Amino acid sequence: MGTLLSLTVANVKSLVRDRAALFWTIFFPIMFVFLFGWIFGGSGGAKISVGFVDQDGTPASGALRQAFASVSLLSLHDGSLDSEKAAMQHGEVSAVIVVPAGLQDALVQARAGNKPSIAIQLFGDPSQNQTTQVVQGAVAQVANGFNLEAQGGSAILTVSQLTLQSTNISSVAYLVPSILAMALMQLGIFAAIPLVQQREKGILKRIGATPLARWKLVGSNVLLRLMVAVVDAILILGIGFVFFNVQIVGSLVLSAGVVLLGAASFLAIGFMLASFLKTEEQATGVVQIVQLPMMFLSGIFFSFDFLPGFLQTIARFLPLTYLGDAMRQVMVNGTQVAPLGVDLAVLTGWLVVCLAIAARSFRWE
Amino acid sequence: MTQGSELVIRVTDLKKHYGDVKAVDGITFEVARGEVFGMLGPNGAGKTTTIEVLEGLRPPDSGTVEVLGLDVLRHPQSIKQRIGVQLQSVSLYPRLTVTELLDLFGSFFVHRVPTKDLIDSVDLGERAKAWSMNLSGGQQQRLSIALALVNDPELVFLDEPTTGLDPQARRSLWDLIKGLQARGKTVMLTTHYMEEATELCDRVAIMDHGRILEMGAVSELIGRRFRERAVFFDSNPGLPVDQLAHLGGVTRTAQEDGQTVLYSNDVAGTIGALLATADGLSVEPRNLGIRQATLEDVFLDLTGRALRD
Repeated sequence: MGTLLSLTVANVKSLVRDRAALFWTIFFPIMFVFLFGWIFGGSGGAKISVGFVDQDGTPASGALRQAFASVSLLSLHDGSLDSEKAAMQHGEVSAVIVVPAGLQDALVQARAGNKPSIAIQLFGDPSQNQTTQVVQGAVAQVANGFNLEAQGGSAILTVSQLTLQSTNISSVAYLVPSILAMALMQLGIFAAIPLVQQREKGILKRIGATPLARWKLVGSNVLLRLMVAVVDAILILGIGFVFFNVQIVGSLVLSAGVVLLGAASFLAIGFMLASFLKTEEQATGVVQIVQLPMMFLSGIFFSFDFLPGFLQTIARFLPLTYLGDAMRQVMVNGTQVAPLGVDLAVLTGWLVVCLAIAARSFRWE
Repeated sequence: MTQGSELVIRVTDLKKHYGDVKAVDGITFEVARGEVFGMLGPNGAGKTTTIEVLEGLRPPDSGTVEVLGLDVLRHPQSIKQRIGVQLQSVSLYPRLTVTELLDLFGSFFVHRVPTKDLIDSVDLGERAKAWSMNLSGGQQQRLSIALALVNDPELVFLDEPTTGLDPQARRSLWDLIKGLQARGKTVMLTTHYMEEATELCDRVAIMDHGRILEMGAVSELIGRRFRERAVFFDSNPGLPVDQLAHLGGVTRTAQEDGQTVLYSNDVAGTIGALLATADGLSVEPRNLGIRQATLEDVFLDLTGRALRD
């Protein structure tokens, strides 16, 4: 264990002192978070667009609509329940307010001395916490006013909250886990470069002439990368939370598990590439050829559905597609491309196959 | 020679082929404790392959190889604990300091020398905190020797320790290697510099095309072939060698690196006759000189080629 530790420390020092490597493994993804966060994230002082579904269609619901329209923060977007939910999923509106049929009746009942109750439905995106809270506050206020006005103290209107996840390019909540997936992909695949470099320089061979067990040499590389994966995850999710208010709504343990599985799968790909590449120049080139298209085809920056058919087919084979999907499902409750079990199985498959190939073909000199 | 003393290396009929290339083609030799043993030969002679088999880095195709009394195939780990290795032209983790690298390598061994002692022994005290990538060529070689000594090894392998160094750095490295022997270590080194072999080695094996052509102490190797000294001058078509072979004292002739060499057991007589012949042909032998026969002459005599070509 002592040897493994000192070797890992040596790897950490080598990484930290290599500014180019440090940039790619840590600062590049952070830059992405800020860049995309600023481009797509800030609603700033602008109005929050909210879908309004009137299923009552009576003067009473008309009056309620008036009340919502007078809230200066909200801009209403009228439509049917289906069309508004779709609009929310595409990011055109941030929440949907549904006034159910029976509002007018309830008012009549209330005047007759009964105590009817009717629930306004509010669809919000839990990962877009700030926006959702603002809309909730506004809806509660309007409902209160309506209750007071209608009948002395009896609460006719209640608000029932529902969640609906939006999956669209304008959602920072969609992007933060995606950028983390990208960072893990690069972290793993870029691991090929120092390995090839160390073989080319004869470092692997020189260490082979000492009693050090080879698994420790590999193990220290794996440890280093997993540590960086954890650092990347903390930084990216932290920045997402602090600056762009993206919260992890799922299980932290499951999230950490997906991060480690993703890092391990891409590390296996990196090791496999290192088995076939001979020079550092080759490695640098091939690593880019592998990672760049994967980055754009895997639906991590925009929904998969936007890709033309044949590219979707390619994307269905890429491990990053599944890592991004798993991360979004686990972290922000995102709508799925594939069930979580499939995501994890595909990643495990890549891990096992690439590791087997690397173990067979890796050369120490 | 090696009789009666403990053998630390014993190689019998070692063969190592790569496809059709017979890198090592059946060599047998022994090295006794405390010796500095050199393998001298041109690039591609099989020196590095041999030394890497001994270090446990490659398995032999056939033959037996024992290091410190242990079979290299069966006990590689025990051997690696007790030997020191310097490989040809290795650069180490470029962004670790001299101290960090020595600490790191030390941690791989059960028995280790304090890092500070190692740094002092190779005179790198002033560069202890420098990244290895920022060291000069000579300093890197000294670091690489220090790394070979982290476990206080009984046997040290040095593969072309001075290749690519300037003469001054080479001298300082030679002193370092002589110091190893003074501390009782056995050293096996490879080189293609005959001065280096002459300066450092108790015994030398001359290798070419995967075979050992001749083995023994340097003076012995020279004495075995050359009782004569060499008279040499820049080759000149006006002075044909066949006319000179019969001059007084000349035992044989050779052409080497643009020079004509006359081996003679009567140097004064040979030079007198040479100058008279040249005068008669109206040519002047340029850069005329005399020297003792060297390992270079031995190699030339064995292979018909100069060592450095």
